[in-house]
Amino acid sequence: MQIPEELRYADNHEWAKLEDDGSVRVGISDYAQDALGDIVYIDLPEVGATVGEGDAFGEIESTKSVAEIYAPVAGTITEVNDALDAAPEAINHQPYGAGWIVVITPATDVSLDHLMEAEAYAAYTEEG
Amino acid sequence: MPTTSLREVHAAAGARFTDFGGWEMPLQYEGVIAEHMAVRESVGVFDVSHLGRFEVAGPGAVDAVRYLLCNDIAKIEPGKAQYTMALNDSGGVEDDIIVWWIDDERLWVLPNGVNFDEIMARFAEHAGPETTVRPLRDDTVLLAVQGPDAPGVIESVLGTAPGRFRVATGEFAGHPYVAAGTGYTGERGAEIAVPAESAPALWQAVLAGGAVPCGLGARDTLRLEMGFALWGQDLDETTTPLEAGLGWVVNWDHDFVGKDALLAQKASGRPRALVGFKTGGRRIARHGYAMRAGESIGEVASGNFSPILQGAIGLGYLTPPPKADTPLEIEFRDEWQVVERAKPPFIER
Repeated sequence: MQIPEELRYADNHEWAKLEDDGSVRVGISDYAQDALGDIVYIDLPEVGATVGEGDAFGEIESTKSVAEIYAPVAGTITEVNDALDAAPEAINHQPYGAGWIVVITPATDVSLDHLMEAEAYAAYTEEG
Repeated sequence: MPTTSLREVHAAAGARFTDFGGWEMPLQYEGVIAEHMAVRESVGVFDVSHLGRFEVAGPGAVDAVRYLLCNDIAKIEPGKAQYTMALNDSGGVEDDIIVWWIDDERLWVLPNGVNFDEIMARFAEHAGPETTVRPLRDDTVLLAVQGPDAPGVIESVLGTAPGRFRVATGEFAGHPYVAAGTGYTGERGAEIAVPAESAPALWQAVLAGGAVPCGLGARDTLRLEMGFALWGQDLDETTTPLEAGLGWVVNWDHDFVGKDALLAQKASGRPRALVGFKTGGRRIARHGYAMRAGESIGEVASGNFSPILQGAIGLGYLTPPPKADTPLEIEFRDEWQVVERAKPPFIER
């Protein structure tokens, strides 16, 4: 199970990456994609939508089940990975790369300190 | 929880397990879609040991099968298999079943795993003193080898490959096997029952022949592409074969449990009907989602993603049966979407 050191992780298995411009790229973890199984559909938000921390902003669906995706930080959705509409399996193959889901731009400088570091997330996933 | 005697073999192959009708069985190995495509394009092998199976043997065996099941075994002959159903007095489907007629007075009955005890009890109760009803599930493993390349693999392993709905018996690795040209995928192939002792050797031989290990997740998407009903979702005690569009499984020329109720429904018209649909998108219309078509209302019984069509497909009941040209809609969250009505099978085979 891959858990990159440079990312932060939420309880609901989203990862967050603070970009140089202060925006936050969001996806779901390797653990989450593995638990979902083959992903066949993702319901993405519109660019320009605003989300609060912890808000569900999308839905991800596998042959097995449906899961909601929650915003790890508050802000405005400034980018959406439209390639996932036709090829949501990118989330299975590259959850931290081509399978990124949205970019959220917070209204003010944001800290990811409320999210888990890789080591803590590794322990969290082992607890199940 | 009871499980297949091959459990450790599956675990070593990377299987993820789940509860199927009280049995712990492989859900997937590599992934549902990869396994699905292996079965459509080459060959896959499923451990389906959770399925019920018992032997009915002796002078009253054929009569018991004829009376307790709505298709008529007398329409086939020893050495063949038949899809059939056990009904209740209201014509509802207690279970859908495959019967393997092995020889004159010896038949294997294969109900769904979840209904095994109840169906076997019906036979035990009805069978006369000269007829034996013997459970087979705990001592045997049942493997389904399915796909366009399955007959070649089966022939190389068993020395013969039973044709469609044919039954074959013989020896494998020093133990007897019973195989039938049946399955739940729409592909060629067979289901093969062996004693637990020779099961690991059979599994390995089939893999060595090129079969991809497949879990029950892919079995579900494969059966849905064919529009095959799943008991517990598309069929249950309250649905009749006529409502499910499975009137062809009912043979009216013999006496069977539930016949009077079915005749009455045939005369008065069925109150609801199972319809198929393609959503036109990838989003899955899942079990329980509301459906409507004009005045007809109901819900989705089975819905999933078709890897062949790259879109969502499903089956659902509508009360009363809708007119052919009435647009069909499904409620996703709080939004009604028009979907395309489609008559199964959803793919050409």
